[in-house]
Amino acid sequence: MSDKQEFLKQFDHIPAVYPVQGNARAAIHGELDFPTIRDEDWKYTRVSGLVKKTYQTDEVGMSINVPGSERSNQVVYINGIHQHQHQSGSLPSGIFHVSMKEATGDDKDWLTKHIGQYIDKSCHAFCALNTGYFQDGAALTVAPNSVVKDPVEVTNFTSGNERAVNVRHFVEAGTNSKATVILNQESIDAKNQFVNVVTEVMLHEGANLTIYVLQNEKSESALIHSMHIKQASNSTCTVFTVTKSGDLVRNNLRFDVEGEGCESNMFGIYFTDQKQHIDNHTYVDHQKPHCNSNELYKGVMTDQSTGVFNGKIMVRRDAQQINAFQSNQNVLLSDKATINTKPELEIYADDVKCSHGCTIGQLDEEAMFYLRSRGLDKNQAAKLLLQAFAGDVLEKMEDDQLRDEIASFIHQKFEHLS
Amino acid sequence: MSEFLNIQNLKASVGGNQILKGINLQVKPGEIHAIMGPNGSGKSTLSSVLAGREEYEVEEGEVTFVGKDLLDLEPEERSHEGLFLAFQYPVEIPGVSNLNFLKAAINAKRAHDGLDDISAKDFMLLVKEKQALVELKQSLANRSVNEGFSGGEKKRNEIFQMAMLEPRLGILDETDSGLDIDALKIVANGVNKLKSEDNAFIVITHYQRLLDYIVPDFVHVLYNGKIVKSGDKHLALELEKKGYDWIIEEVESAK
Repeated sequence: MSDKQEFLKQFDHIPAVYPVQGNARAAIHGELDFPTIRDEDWKYTRVSGLVKKTYQTDEVGMSINVPGSERSNQVVYINGIHQHQHQSGSLPSGIFHVSMKEATGDDKDWLTKHIGQYIDKSCHAFCALNTGYFQDGAALTVAPNSVVKDPVEVTNFTSGNERAVNVRHFVEAGTNSKATVILNQESIDAKNQFVNVVTEVMLHEGANLTIYVLQNEKSESALIHSMHIKQASNSTCTVFTVTKSGDLVRNNLRFDVEGEGCESNMFGIYFTDQKQHIDNHTYVDHQKPHCNSNELYKGVMTDQSTGVFNGKIMVRRDAQQINAFQSNQNVLLSDKATINTKPELEIYADDVKCSHGCTIGQLDEEAMFYLRSRGLDKNQAAKLLLQAFAGDVLEKMEDDQLRDEIASFIHQKFEHLS
Repeated sequence: MSEFLNIQNLKASVGGNQILKGINLQVKPGEIHAIMGPNGSGKSTLSSVLAGREEYEVEEGEVTFVGKDLLDLEPEERSHEGLFLAFQYPVEIPGVSNLNFLKAAINAKRAHDGLDDISAKDFMLLVKEKQALVELKQSLANRSVNEGFSGGEKKRNEIFQMAMLEPRLGILDETDSGLDIDALKIVANGVNKLKSEDNAFIVITHYQRLLDYIVPDFVHVLYNGKIVKSGDKHLALELEKKGYDWIIEEVESAK
């Protein structure tokens, strides 16, 4: 038996609940292979070791203490399984949650219709692994014409040793609706976990959806998050990806802009230290005219850590009058930190405005000296400069509470800078 | 009191070139010293070495400031001891709020002095008082450090920061360069109001113009890395009339 079959065998006891799961299993058992560093898209992120290990895949009793959240409207999952007991009250009106696993009747029919429809059919094997073997995950729907002011949060806590978890989320934003969703991935005491998340997002005409993806994995755990967004005409989708920590994190963010007059925004902040490795791959596919996309990712790497950024903008022949802007900026704080960054533009239309740029630098020495000459020590001065660096992304966040929370996280993160 | 600032035989180089070739200077509280000299004489190097810029290497000599070995201190420690350098080219720092930065600077000094953080109210009162001193617009104080400031606004912001931090020794490095006469008067007026029996200033300038408004007790001429002539304010007037050549000739012929 090959390594792949051996690896997949660990998941075979998981029941396939949705028809699409059977197809995905067949695909991954067949010719679809897990990527290696020989694949251009995975050149800088080695994942082959992940699919050679033995994991715990049973659903075991999860009586762990969940940290209290300052945010209301929180739906809690632990190791990818919905936890009723931790739900904080009911969700605001206009937005509904159902767990993939618990869905029955109409809910299940609704999900059967949508699941697997938005991920790119040529998606890598981790998507197929997720589709084939996910057990649970959050499905959220925003009712047409509803404006939901308060953010709704789905947190998946990870706990325990050497578990492999496939979590599947789906968000549908109804016609002319407006909402904010937080997808929070947080380790409580997880070690050596493999967390494979797929999130499908569908925006109907005129919908406005903001998604905050917060990631805080630790202790040798690996996280792969593949998010595929489909936008219908005149919709606006904004995704913030904030990776606070993670020993191995790979984010694939893809926008399929299938309608005219859309706006697609991707903003990211990532911090790496020690031997962490954080990889953000984004892809925006402009298929129709009169759309804008804006992208700004900022990274700070220290110690012996590595950051990877690859941003691709595709403008198809019919997609005239597109404005697509992309920028990736990085600060390296140590001699042994690494960043690999690559912008990619593929443009087939002739009436478009596209720009991209990436910068890699260190903290400005002249500014450091200026601040120090006024009495700030090295640490304080560096912290101020790094906060200013991240500030460009923070100021795009409309949710004050989240923005403050992330700002104070940055503050703490750099508390012990050397 | 001779231990306020005492520079003895200071020699310093940058990139292997010796710029300061044995500076001797004593400054006492209540005094204003002007350091003048032609371009390239080492004026800015002297201020950089005193403030602790890392790219300058001190080869010889000693500097004591309020009883401490100044050259042994980090730039921030020099600031805590009461040294302030007003930059010739103040740095723009986008995204760092002028006021947040100043508050952090004041609190760093207070921590060094064993005091609690300044209260928000006291801080704002101080800002208001010192802003008036240099006629700095409220909107500038609230902006990012020097970002988009005109040359004159940057220099006024330097004096504003100096006023906020109340140093024992203020070093003004060519603060007059690029200033029109109105801005020059405002900057000079700020310094004159800050002047007391307990603090001192070193005013580095190429031109005599600033010294019409900040009247020095001593004027020193720096040439080729050494102080070659010292006098009172009349020396500056003489330099204004006759230029530097006669001093250079004097020095060269004495060799």
